[in-house]
Amino acid sequence: MDSEYLLGVFGDEESMLSAFRKMKEQDIEIEDVFTPYPVHEILEKHGRKSRITIVGWFYGFFATIGVLAFLIYTAVIDWPLNYGGKPSNAFPSFIVITIILTIFSITILSLFTFSWRANLWPSLEKPIYHVGATDDKFVILLKKEKADIVRATSLMKETGAIEVLEK
Amino acid sequence: MYNTEVRGPLVLGNKTLTQITTDITSPVYARPKFWWVVGLGISSILMLLGFWSIYVTISQGIGTWGVNNTVGWGWAIINFVWWIGIGHAGTAFSIFLLILRQEWRSSINRAAEAMTVVAVGCAAIFPALHMGRIWDFFFIFPYPNTRGPLWVNYNSPLFWDFIAISAYLLISASFWFLGMIPDFATIRDNTTSKVKKAVYGFFAMGWRGSVGEWKRYEGLSYILGGIAAVLVVSVHSIVSTDFAVSVEPGWHTTIFPPYFVVGAIFSGFGMVMTLMIILRRIYKLEDYVTDSHLDKVAKILIFVSLIMGTAYVTEIFLAWYSGNEYEIFTFFHNRITGEFTKQFWIMFVCNAIIPQLMWFKKIRSNLLIVFIISILINVGMWFERFNIVITSLSKDYLPSAWASYSPTFVEIAMYLGTVGIFGFGVLLFMKYIPMIAIHEVKDVNRYQLKKK
Repeated sequence: MDSEYLLGVFGDEESMLSAFRKMKEQDIEIEDVFTPYPVHEILEKHGRKSRITIVGWFYGFFATIGVLAFLIYTAVIDWPLNYGGKPSNAFPSFIVITIILTIFSITILSLFTFSWRANLWPSLEKPIYHVGATDDKFVILLKKEKADIVRATSLMKETGAIEVLEK
Repeated sequence: MYNTEVRGPLVLGNKTLTQITTDITSPVYARPKFWWVVGLGISSILMLLGFWSIYVTISQGIGTWGVNNTVGWGWAIINFVWWIGIGHAGTAFSIFLLILRQEWRSSINRAAEAMTVVAVGCAAIFPALHMGRIWDFFFIFPYPNTRGPLWVNYNSPLFWDFIAISAYLLISASFWFLGMIPDFATIRDNTTSKVKKAVYGFFAMGWRGSVGEWKRYEGLSYILGGIAAVLVVSVHSIVSTDFAVSVEPGWHTTIFPPYFVVGAIFSGFGMVMTLMIILRRIYKLEDYVTDSHLDKVAKILIFVSLIMGTAYVTEIFLAWYSGNEYEIFTFFHNRITGEFTKQFWIMFVCNAIIPQLMWFKKIRSNLLIVFIISILINVGMWFERFNIVITSLSKDYLPSAWASYSPTFVEIAMYLGTVGIFGFGVLLFMKYIPMIAIHEVKDVNRYQLKKK
């Protein structure tokens, strides 16, 4: 078997969405959908989950604790210095630094998490199924082993696919 | 989801998706125009001038500046605050409006963010050199060292400033880059040139627009948006504490943080206005950056200008109301009248009065006048920083230490150098990066198509 995938290429969002809905009804398993902009109905109903916002919250939580612990360790425990008689544990000053460094840590860590989970990395050679998907085409990708190809092909043609390809 | 009926269409001309792609990416494929090359040449010359002044400052010392008296801060800090202010536009624009779900941001945010990144980069040059011994720069990092270990002073706003600006630069740059990933992929898939395919493909990081990518992309945008919104407020508040924590007359006031933040947003939006009027004219992007977009920015400028005026008057009133002779001297005999009268009134007129002309629809829709006003705003904001830095430092509590200040050629050259860096960066952006977020505009455009 040379071709592993079946591609339905659509010229507009509406016809792609109706094909998507029908496939969901008929339990045809959709491998992936490629769109030029985020289509929220698909993002919600495709079934793929993203926990990046939750992870982001935890990064922030641990970063706050980490930064505060670092500040208190260095300024109060390790080497307290007397700056004009101010207390070593100058908590109000620490708040500012903690907020900024928390934001800093969340950014860095969630960027790397994003890169890892969405599998995006500079010059990564990923198969591009259809070049139009970043311009004006909406592409539904099916895996041949998992889906009923005959039914899916006719369904996509019915709903207005420009072309149905095997790849 | 987004109801834009009240506002009218955000993208004109009933564009199809392909049209949007070609309209926005065409400058990337086209050969550079003559004016572009000339602009790049001029900014390179200014940049070289800046590098020369940096070389002089490092090899000979801060003594080459005119700050060898009680005015220790001089142009370096004026320009630092000015650039940071301009650098607030991107975040204020894309992030505040992202969180508020204001879809009209889509056509402008990319350019505003580009401006932010370049402007903050320019700003960072000044405090770094103002340290004097830039080769000891790493002393500001809290790291275990052989000098004690001597940790940095966490009570000092100067340290807050350092982390705030580095965090701001990094976060705005990564937010900007994140938004560009899908657009780089668009160029990668449409270009016929092998070099472009390789370069944009490298930066597109294998983006295909799949469900998993879009989902995480949106999640990450909102995380970064949510936390960076805090930065818009915090960065300039921290810059203002550099001033407000000291006991100089005219600086030691609690109004400083909000006053600085508003000023920053004001100058940032002013610069966005200047740049967008030029960009849409040159690249014929009037369908994307519509008159109504600029109208909205103008309305924001009117409002922010009112806050600026209120802040100026509040400062003056409180100086009088406090009865403190030093405050009264600074405000009434050193700013409103006295040696720095001109600078004070330029600031006041440019920031608090001229933008109010935009209440009139006729003036607001005449882009030439709006363009001039937007430039005057940044002139006024420069003079605001001049007023704050120079007047207070030149005449403080001890008359025998009073000094006057004028910049040396090295300082002026360094300022021109950063203008060159800014121009250079913006020109490169105009040529090599899609100036408008393609996927966001497509997203906005489809709501309009749906309604038909």
